[in-house]
Order: sequence, then structure tokens, then C-alpha cells
Amino acid sequence: MEYFIYGIGLIIGGGFFSLMLPEKAKGYAVSLFTGLGAACILSPSINVLLGQSIPSLAVEISYPIGTTNISIDHLSAFFLIIISVMSFIGTIYTIGYMKVYNGKGRTVTSHFFFLSVLIASMPLVVVVQNALAFLIVWEIMSLSSFFLLSFENEKEEVYNAGINYLIAMHIGVLFIITGFVLLSIKSESLDFNSFKDVLNADKWQTNIIFLLLFIGFGTKAGFIPLHTWLPKAYPAAPSHISGLMSGVMINTAIYGILRIITLIKLPSIEIAYFVLIISLISGILGVAYAIAQSDIKKLLAYSSVENIGVIGIGIGVGLLGMAYHKPSLTVLGFSGGMLHILNQSLFKSLLFYSTGVVYLQTHILHMEKLGGLIRPMLFTGICFLVGSLAISGLPPFNGFVSEFLIYWGMLTGLKSGYVLLSVMIVLSFSGLAFIGAMALLCFTKVFSIVFLGSPRSDLHEKPIDVHWTMKAAMGFQILLIFAIGFLPQYIFIGISKAAHGLFGEISPEIFTSYFNTLCDVSRGLAVFMGIFILLFLGRYLLLRKRRVYRYKTWDCGYQAGNTRMQYTGASYVEPFMTLIRPIFKTKIRENKPIGLFPSRSTYESQTDDKFEHAVIHPIIKRIEKFLNAFTWIQSGSTQQYILYGLIFLILITLWIMVV
Amino acid sequence: MIEILINAALLIILPLLFIGLINRVKSLWGGRQGPSIMQPVRDFLKLMKKGEVISTTSSFIFKIAPSITFASIILAGLIVPMAGGRSILSFNADFIFFAYILATGKFFAIIGAMDTGSSFEGMGASREAVFSSLVEPAFFIVIASIGILGNVSTFEGLMRLSGGSGELKMLILMLGAGTLFIMLLVEGCRVPVDDPNTHLELTMIHEVMVLDNSGPDMGIIMYASAMKMIIISSIIANMVIPESMAFGLSLASYLAVLLVLAVIIGTIEAIVARLRMSHVPQFLFYMTAISVIILSIIVLTVSGGMK
Repeated sequence: MEYFIYGIGLIIGGGFFSLMLPEKAKGYAVSLFTGLGAACILSPSINVLLGQSIPSLAVEISYPIGTTNISIDHLSAFFLIIISVMSFIGTIYTIGYMKVYNGKGRTVTSHFFFLSVLIASMPLVVVVQNALAFLIVWEIMSLSSFFLLSFENEKEEVYNAGINYLIAMHIGVLFIITGFVLLSIKSESLDFNSFKDVLNADKWQTNIIFLLLFIGFGTKAGFIPLHTWLPKAYPAAPSHISGLMSGVMINTAIYGILRIITLIKLPSIEIAYFVLIISLISGILGVAYAIAQSDIKKLLAYSSVENIGVIGIGIGVGLLGMAYHKPSLTVLGFSGGMLHILNQSLFKSLLFYSTGVVYLQTHILHMEKLGGLIRPMLFTGICFLVGSLAISGLPPFNGFVSEFLIYWGMLTGLKSGYVLLSVMIVLSFSGLAFIGAMALLCFTKVFSIVFLGSPRSDLHEKPIDVHWTMKAAMGFQILLIFAIGFLPQYIFIGISKAAHGLFGEISPEIFTSYFNTLCDVSRGLAVFMGIFILLFLGRYLLLRKRRVYRYKTWDCGYQAGNTRMQYTGASYVEPFMTLIRPIFKTKIRENKPIGLFPSRSTYESQTDDKFEHAVIHPIIKRIEKFLNAFTWIQSGSTQQYILYGLIFLILITLWIMVV
Repeated sequence: MIEILINAALLIILPLLFIGLINRVKSLWGGRQGPSIMQPVRDFLKLMKKGEVISTTSSFIFKIAPSITFASIILAGLIVPMAGGRSILSFNADFIFFAYILATGKFFAIIGAMDTGSSFEGMGASREAVFSSLVEPAFFIVIASIGILGNVSTFEGLMRLSGGSGELKMLILMLGAGTLFIMLLVEGCRVPVDDPNTHLELTMIHEVMVLDNSGPDMGIIMYASAMKMIIISSIIANMVIPESMAFGLSLASYLAVLLVLAVIIGTIEAIVARLRMSHVPQFLFYMTAISVIILSIIVLTVSGGMK
């Protein structure tokens, strides 16, 4: 436990130390201290997963927090590992990314300081066991990420996105506070463990508290319809921050939900169905919105919503298992969901990081203006390709393993004998398949438009692969993605330990059978790679002595082709957008070519987020209308304000006299 | 062991013959002499002997894509149950692996097409991705619904329904075979979804995606798409063939079902016109509709509403 405290100290210390350094050295210092701190945090976490006793520490903090327990149980240990490793990778990437901003009079100093604060606050969120202390570190995390996000705050859209994020987070925290207040009133304590009795007392009381907390944490995680801040915040933030936020920070929200589930011993059927249905909706609509986007980071933001949906489907399946007493559903559902948390933080931040490289080199995020980047930027291109394959859940990459576990969990629940359960499982089974197929559409679109074909616009400078630190960070992530993808059985050991608090001990026979199946999967993947290598080798040998020549792409004999005639992202997804037009309103403004000598024609399409317009805006309008009734208080005239002071003084005098 | 060897041999031999058979049936309907059944084999061998032309726009993706796609289809072929209901590789929940490894192949086929920067190929790739996103959910509903009645652990077991009466089993499996037949037409790029004969029309899907491929790459693409048809036909065959049969008899009926399927596909191709592109999704929604019907029948059975 001491190591954990040292780790946090080192990370924060790195932040303070960086204040004193010249701009160039700040990144290295923060990265070095984060690395050391991460190592200190990792050692107790790994020990817990290896089976050592759970370290805990009671810290006395003055009123009103009181005694705060800090403990690293299996769930916390799992999240600590993700947070520390991914934060360290993030800081390495940051060194390279922030280089461009050095010496330009930017607020680099505060940026690095808040980066350290964010990285130090996340491990604290997952270990404190006291509601009030939790809220305090939660708030530190939200605020520091707000400062990081609005780095380029002189741009109007960045400023607005920052404020939007800040407000969304505080609406979310309001629900968390309400939930915690209800719990602590009933239990007369702020300690998480004392909440257990309250959560096991009355079913509907538990349901309501769970709903409140789910809304609170769900706002941070980005479940639909609470996701509206994501597509604004991620494009506005610098890429390393988008990567850290989507890859690491939103995991803490999932941690919150899982922590509540561990406290509820027996979740009701309603909770299980609620989580599963909301997650399915988030998954399907998230990826459908992602398909419609043409800004790479906005697309990744919506796909983040989709991945949260997939994680939620896993958790939902696990909850169904708990509610219906089907251990195989519980084990496989939660394992799949938790593994997807790890996977999503790997591939999502990898995608954001490689997008960051693209942005640094081209200063463009609009994919219709990019193209052919894989030739000048081979390394980044491969990173993005691996990320795309992994996020589409395709073997042999890590995304497949978690989705496989979830699917398999669902299958074991098919013959439950409960009709409702069976139908729900069949529907979510095909829902997950639909999400996967749409993710394939979405990521073939972004990868092929940005990296393949020829450049669609002239760039000022020739794009190249960048600073070694960024390559190192991304390369390390690729290694982890491959490791999980090819050897899923070993990661399953860790995951099944980490989910200990959710489903207890698995019997050795069942564990062995799961382990063996994953070995089979891994063997299948080896066969696949073997066949591929043989085929490719065969092709090479066949063509070695033959004439292979390069010629321009076949264009039906048309001689004046140019790069603007390539398929664009919008045209690539047009058949899909036409299909879902009844559900999504896509605004199309077009100026068709007419007549024999058509003049300039234009086409513009825009898909708005329906939830933002149909759900969030009306609510905000109502609130605004109500608050407008009080605008007369702030009239702007000094006399009136002096009058307020006078009235206040009179009231306080009266109050003192009465008391 | 011998069964596995026979199946492996079938997986290698059947695909090109199947295509030859379809073309032969088509020519008979057209009153033409037509090419021999062996013609696709000759085409394949011819392509394997040639050199290649590679687009200057393309990157390494274009070179590895056909091999990856073919590898994924071979692996799917190893998992799918073939003659005698036996598959070569079999493990828990292997049909999920089956569906996803095929998707990996599809991913590479799509980006391989997009790599050339050709708008024709972009169009084909786009349609391929959209249509497969419509086919996938329906396939998963069928599998999961059948799984409620059957043994859900492996692909082999999935085809053996344990619950329900004889007629009901029959009904479900026939509907399932119908859904998979639509899938066969989509994935095998056959009429009425796609037309394998014309290469350069804006209405094509798979054929237009491989416009820039040539030589050995084109050969393995051809072979791979034929193998994909055999794979899906095998699922259909295993749904139709009764389970308790000696291997020899089962092998014969497997081959007979494949023959019938080739004749049906050839006939459809000879007498039906390709659908308008905007009507293809509607055709694909039949699949979803039938799969939901299967699900409802099974749910009614399980809940005791239908005996």
C-alpha cells in the first residue's frame, strides 16, 4: 500500500517538478515521473491479482469526510493496471505531440501540470472507499481534464466544447451526489461497504439508487442519450488528451458502475434488462452516428459511444446471469465486458494517437480532404489499420476476444427455460453482430479514405512519420493488442481474477473448460496466420521470376482522371445512409448539374445528433425559461445591488435578534 | 480421421467444380453448348501462370489483401461442418469464430479494393460493406434461434436439433435453409443480388471490387469466392440432411444437396433478372424477416404455445 502512495506522490511530484523546467524538458520529466509512479502503482496491483491479500489503509481526514478507507481489491487492481500503463504510454506520446507547441507562448506549463494532476487523480478514484472522498477526487479528475481539453482555448469551438464538457460533467456529478446522499442517509455512513446493507434491503429502493448512479456515471462514460459532450470534446482536445480521456478516463465511470454492482449482492432483473437495453441502443446508434461523420475525431468519439455500449452489453449479460442465477452467463458476460474495457483503452487511444500524427502533419481532420497517407506515413498507417481491425472486433486482434467471450456467454444462456431471457439473448446476440458489421463499414471507411488512394488535396508540406516517442508509444500498444489477440487464454486468467468481486470464485473445472476453449481459439488464429503466410509466400515465389509491372489504376480508358474522382467517405456510406434515412435525419443541400453545359454543382450533407436536438435541447430550453424568470435580479444597476446588500444586512440583523 | 481427410479433399476439389456446374446449368437453360464443367479449373490454372499488373496508386495492402481473404475463407472452411456433419476444426462457440474470421477477410477485401483509388472499386466496396451489415444480424438470429433447440456448443452440434417434434424441426430447418440460401446468393455474388458475368458495370458488387487484380491474385480471389459458396452450401446441406446416417450415405446425400443447389442457382440465374440496386436491401430484409419468424416459432415452442 505504501508503494501506491509513493506512486501517487511521484506523479504529482513530477507535475510540480515540471513547473520549474524549460518547456522542452517538461514532457520528459512528466513522462519519467509518471513511469516511476506507474511502476509503484503496478506492483501492489499485480500482487493482488496474483492472489496476495488485499492491502488497505485507513486515512483520517478531518470533518466532514472522516475516516477514509483506501484499499486495492481485485476490481481496483484491474483498473489501476489499465490506468497506470495507459497513462504512461500517453505521457510518452505527449512528449512528441507537444513539441510543436514549444516556444510559441502557449500555456504549456499549466498543461503539463494538469496532465500530472489528471493522471494522479484517476488511480485515486478507483481506490477510495468513501463517498465524499470519492466525489472530491472525481471532481479533481473532471476539472483537470477540463483544463487539458481547453488547451487551444482561443479557438471558439474549443472554448465552447470545454464549457459544454464542464457542464455535462457537473450534471452527471449531481446524480452521483444524489445517489450517494440517499445511500449515506440510509446507512448513516460514507463508507462504501456500509452501503451494502441499504442496497440489499429493498428492491425498488435499490433500483432507484442504481438508476441515479447509472445516469451519473453514464454521463461520463457516454451512454446514449447522455453522450452529447463526447463528439464535441474529443475533436476540440489535443489528440493525446482525447486518447487519455477516451482510453483511460471514461473507464473510471465504468469502474463506478461495476463498484455499485459489487455492492448490490443480488441485482434485480429490471436493472439487468435496463443496462442491457441501454447498452444495445448505445452500441447500435453510436456506430451508426460514427458512420455518418466526416471529421475523424468526431467519428472516433461516436465509436467510443459504441464501445461503451459493447462493454455495457457484457455487463448487462453478466447482470442477467446474476439475476437469473446462471453462473456461466455471469462469468463470461463480466469477463467479456471487463476485457473490452482493457481492449477499448488500447485500441481507442491508439486510433486517437495515430489521428494526432495525421493532424500534426497535415493540419486536417476532415477526411474528405485527406487520402493516400499510408505511403508517406507507413508506421502511422499500420497503427491506424491495427486499431481499426481491433475496434471492429476482428480476429486475430484483441477486440475479437472480448466480443467472443460476450457472445459465448450469451449462447450459454439460450437454453435457460425463461422465454423472455432467451428472446432478449437472441436479440442482443444479433444486435452485437449488427454493431460489429457496422463497425466494419465505419472503419473501412475511415481507414481507406484517409490512408489509401491518392491525396485529395494539396498539402503544404510533405507528411512524414514523426518523433520517435510517438512511434514508441504506438508501437507498444500494437504489441499489447497482438499479445491479447493471440494469447487470449492467459489474459483470461487475469480477467477472471479481476472480476472476482463480481462473481466470486469460479470452479476449477469450468475455468479449465473456458481456458481450453480460448486455447483452441488461439490455435485457430495460429492456423490462420500460418495459411496466410504460406499463401503469401506462394504468391511471392510464383511472381518472383515473372513480369510484375505497375500501371495506373484501371479507369475504363478515360484518360483525364484526377484524384477528386475517387470515392469519398460520404459516397462510401451513401447506400447505408439511404437505408437508415427514416431513422436519421440527414440534411442534404445539393445543387445538381443541369443541362448540356452544367455550371458548378455542389453537394453537402450533414447528419445531426437526434438526441441532442430531441432530448437534450428541449430540457435545456425548459430550464432556461424557468431561470429567465429571475433575470430581473441581475439588472446591472449599481443602486439595486446596494439595495440587495442593505436588505441582506437587515435580514441578518433580524435573524440575530430573533435567535 | 478418414472422414476428415475426405472433407479436406472435398473442400479443395468442390469449389471450382461447383461454379462450373452452375455455368453449365445456365448454358443448358439458354440452349447453348456452354463451357465444360472443368472450365473454371482451367481458368484458375491459367491465371496462376500469369504475371501481374499492379496499380501505381496502391500500397502493400493491395498485395496482401487477396492472400488474407483467402486464408480467412480456408479457415472458415475448416470450421464449417461438411459431409457427415463433421468439421475439420471444432471447438466451443466455433461458429462465432467462423463468422468473424470471414469478416476479417471481408475487411481486407474492402480495403484492398479501396487501395486502388478507383471509384468503381469504391462503389463495389461500399455496397459489399453495406449488404454484409444487413446479412450478418439475420445470420446470427438464425444461429442463436436454432441454438435454443439444439446443442449450442459447436457448429457440428448446432445442426442437430434436440428439442421439438419432427414436423417442427423440419419447419425450422427448412426456413433456416431458406435464409441461408439468400445468404449464399449474396456472399457468392449471384443473381439476383449481383451478376458474376459482367465485370464493368456500375451495378456490380464483388466483381467490380477486383477490377484491378490480375494473375495469381485474381486466381485466388476466384477460388476463394467459390469456396465461400461451398461453405455456405455445406451449412444448408447439413440442415437438410437427416442426422442419423452412415457416413457413406451422408456423403452421397451431401453431394446430392450441393448438386441440387448448383442447379437451383443456375436456374435462377438463367430465368431471373438481377434486381435493381435499390431493391437489393429489400431482398436482404427477407432474410431478417424469415429469421425473426424462426425465432418466434421457437419461442412459441419453448413457452409451450405450439406443440
